[in-house]
Amino acid sequence: MKPKYILVLLLMIGAAFAPSTWNVRAQESPRRIEITARKFGFDPSEITVKKGQPVVLVVKSADVAHGLRFRELNLNVKVDKGGTAELPFTPDKTGDFVGHCSVFCGSGHGEMTLTMHVVN
Amino acid sequence: MLALAGVIGCKSTPPGKFESGTMSFAKHHFLIGNKKQKNPLPDNHDTWNDGKEAFSHYCVACHGMDGQNIGVPFVDHISPPIPSLASKDVQSYTDGQLKWILDNGIWPSGMPGSKGTLSDEELWSIVVFLRHLPPAGSQGTPDIYTH
Repeated sequence: MKPKYILVLLLMIGAAFAPSTWNVRAQESPRRIEITARKFGFDPSEITVKKGQPVVLVVKSADVAHGLRFRELNLNVKVDKGGTAELPFTPDKTGDFVGHCSVFCGSGHGEMTLTMHVVN
Repeated sequence: MLALAGVIGCKSTPPGKFESGTMSFAKHHFLIGNKKQKNPLPDNHDTWNDGKEAFSHYCVACHGMDGQNIGVPFVDHISPPIPSLASKDVQSYTDGQLKWILDNGIWPSGMPGSKGTLSDEELWSIVVFLRHLPPAGSQGTPDIYTH
């Protein structure tokens, strides 16, 4: 086989594999952020995520049932006493958003917040 | 004798018409602030549902599930009396005043403030719930009184 045919063959093989490589990149697994909820706060209390980058908030309860709700983003997750719950989403707008505990958990429930910064 | 005088002095009786009227006027015009603040939440069914849920956690013990004291066992034995939240006296407060009352309570009645216990969003959603209370008795008795 002439060298130029070998080169064409290699290019064709490369072209055939390239899209699947791009696919792998496009389907990159979402970033996971672990958050512990306990009376009466979230740890961490601030997170930063990127617009357009899929993310999963993994909320763990260290005591009673809690929740995490971002009203402006229409996101809400509830977690059972001592349990774990996941909130997958892709931020589609930038800004600072304050999430609140969405399950009444006691006297300091109203001050239980988590601030999420969504940046470009 | 002194002890007896103390007990009589502390006796709580329902307020008369003049006392109620004076207090109501003072509350509406001087004591309850925040008259002009607007509710930042939309007045829709979702907000009403949020308000109903928040109300059910903290307010039903005294105000009942319907905000009209239905199913509250001690409602006839407390002074000053617990008002129906559907009453003209309550409904004539502005949204901002209702939020102020939810935040700070009303001294010296038994109404406690909820600032910190409930979030601002929850408190504003309760204001929406208060503006559209369900019919009296339609929500049954609060769970805490049925066990």
